[in-house]
Amino acid sequence: MSRVVESDICIIGAGISAAMVAERLAEHTTASITVVEAGGRTASLDERSLTRARMLAYGENPYPNDHIPGQTGTGAMYRSMVVGGSGMHWGGAVPRYSPEDFRVRSLYGVGFDWPISFDDLDPYYQEAEERIGAAGEQGPPEYDPRSQPYPMPPLPLSYNLARMREWTDRAGVPFWTQPWTRNTEPYRGRNVCQRCDTCAVCPTGAKYTPDFAFDQLLADGRIELVTRTLVRRLTVEPGTDRIAVAEAVDRDAPDEPVEFRASTFVIAAGHAWSSHLLLLSASSRYPDGLANRTGNVGRYMTGHWYASGFIDLPMRLYPGIFANNSLLSHRFASPGPLDRYLRHDLRLWESDVGRAPRLKGDDGRLLWGDEIMADWRARTEAAATARIRAYYDVIPDRDSHLTLDGATRNAMSDPMPRIDFRAAQATIDLERHTHDTIRGRFDDLARAAGGAVRSTRTSRLFEHPGGGCRMGDDPATSVVDRWGRTHDHENLFVTGAPTIVSSGCANGTLTFCALSLMTAEEIGNGVR
Amino acid sequence: MAESRRSFLKQSVATVAAASVAGCAPDAGRRLAAEAGGSPAPLPAGTLRAVAEAVLPAELGDEGRERAVAAFERWSEGLEPVAELSHPYLVPEIRYSGPDPRPGWAAQLEGLDKECRSRHGVSLAAIDMPERRKMLERPLGQAGPSLGSPASADHIAVALMAHFFASPVATDLCHGRVIGKQQCRGLDGAGAEPAVLVAGGAP
Repeated sequence: MSRVVESDICIIGAGISAAMVAERLAEHTTASITVVEAGGRTASLDERSLTRARMLAYGENPYPNDHIPGQTGTGAMYRSMVVGGSGMHWGGAVPRYSPEDFRVRSLYGVGFDWPISFDDLDPYYQEAEERIGAAGEQGPPEYDPRSQPYPMPPLPLSYNLARMREWTDRAGVPFWTQPWTRNTEPYRGRNVCQRCDTCAVCPTGAKYTPDFAFDQLLADGRIELVTRTLVRRLTVEPGTDRIAVAEAVDRDAPDEPVEFRASTFVIAAGHAWSSHLLLLSASSRYPDGLANRTGNVGRYMTGHWYASGFIDLPMRLYPGIFANNSLLSHRFASPGPLDRYLRHDLRLWESDVGRAPRLKGDDGRLLWGDEIMADWRARTEAAATARIRAYYDVIPDRDSHLTLDGATRNAMSDPMPRIDFRAAQATIDLERHTHDTIRGRFDDLARAAGGAVRSTRTSRLFEHPGGGCRMGDDPATSVVDRWGRTHDHENLFVTGAPTIVSSGCANGTLTFCALSLMTAEEIGNGVR
Repeated sequence: MAESRRSFLKQSVATVAAASVAGCAPDAGRRLAAEAGGSPAPLPAGTLRAVAEAVLPAELGDEGRERAVAAFERWSEGLEPVAELSHPYLVPEIRYSGPDPRPGWAAQLEGLDKECRSRHGVSLAAIDMPERRKMLERPLGQAGPSLGSPASADHIAVALMAHFFASPVATDLCHGRVIGKQQCRGLDGAGAEPAVLVAGGAP
């Protein structure tokens, strides 16, 4: 006998995209809303001072019990499965994508255009920034377009970043402050940033985490939040294409199945678990899974690669003033006409690389206490290190995909996801040019300071990932429409990271939030 | 990782750690093996301070050095072996910290003192600094060039140094400025050059 939970709208997942959808629907409709989360609760705000202290002292995970044993896949994915999702651990960087990200095929003849433009998304970006509380500095409008100001002024430039910006100004490359969802003034009942510099776990609540939204919605009686309950498959109403039930297992009572019945279902389970659920929901009628008539579920998984380095600077800085703030430039994300495609951002942080205390000198001689201090001072008194990174746009391949991995199963014997990211040949062909060009820009910047590039590296980890249920106007090449509604099932939506067409060259979370607000608006139009 | 596997790992690593030091300090090794799974014995305080005097900056002064050692002792007491570590970005595997280093560190301190009494007839604290450093040179010489994290230090002296030099106190002392690394400092003043550390204002 199953336990049945009924509501107008059932949201699967309780991360930041789910928080956006639930919050907006709760404000704009009277619909009953259930949010189902496979994980439980982790450290509350009150507990984060302690878990922060242990993270600093011992490197421990500041979010205990934030994952489910055995519920994991292969490939680049987050392990957190908890109320708040990976939005608990994030640093809170909230840059927007650039207008070019949505039109790379039209502008540069590579990759794919989105079915929406930057201007279409702008009001939802703004709404997302207001909901989560974004603090930012307006950059040059040609590289940082926005129609309204940030909700909060930016984090102040630290002494270190101010000196570094003087340097980048001399180099002629415009940098401004990275926007963050960290309060610079009291905002929505949350505190002001105290510059604790451990933003992965903020002990003051100045950084937005999605659990704040769920707690408020619960306090207002606007949602039912069902935790520790894993949705295993969706089933379709006989004779229609409408989703009828989300079948789940209560992890505390695994012998008693749970059925979530709703008029509208929203999958908000991130880049890995959203496609996974659709594929797991295969049946004789839908042998390839739901929303997958054209075989696009799990495809076009996307993320960006980076080139990074450390630059020696002939200036006195004080590492530790504010390592979790940084400078940002989208100068090369909006590059204008190009002979060869390359778009990337630039970001700069203070660093102590090469200038940390050490046990042995350059000659390998053992240093004792006072000698360590003298050696440390000698390497910091007149010189400093900047960390620089360039995320660059990677064109996703259709065969960059998530599949069900029969060799890896969870406690219920369900196959777990496997993600094999792959860049399109266009990106591979341009990789050498990309790295050489970015390295040249690092060199140019270093020279402007009278410094030098100390070291560089490149990464093919698909960072800030998304895709798997990409949006589009053509069902033959996409899974959902611009609103996140699946082409195949009119009452089934996928939202946030899985729906993006490409990852551009900026952190994705704000874009995931904006897309989720679009989804919520569309759902709200139907149920209001 | 299942809880039973985690418990097994904790017990195993404690036993392994005890066994690995048994050669240099048989008594300590047996005692620690018997205590596997329980709280480790406190680090021998006198010998730890004798080591600290040899490896921490003299500019700390006696009081500053004592504060640094006491902070290390508190840190050591709070250390949990095989604890779940922060998730690396986009890595689905859960990672755990290493085995308990404290039994080995305690045995090293006991071994140092025992060796000193054999060689010089007095405790480590009673010999002069050149002799003390001479005794520490061999294990420290085997360490790598960087200080690393204290919990992963093979030798107690490196752990003590790594702990101190990673502290906000050490950063302030190095730069002669009040930086307050990773202290919750508020946003005011972030843009100013950090204030000069007044003499005697260290730790």
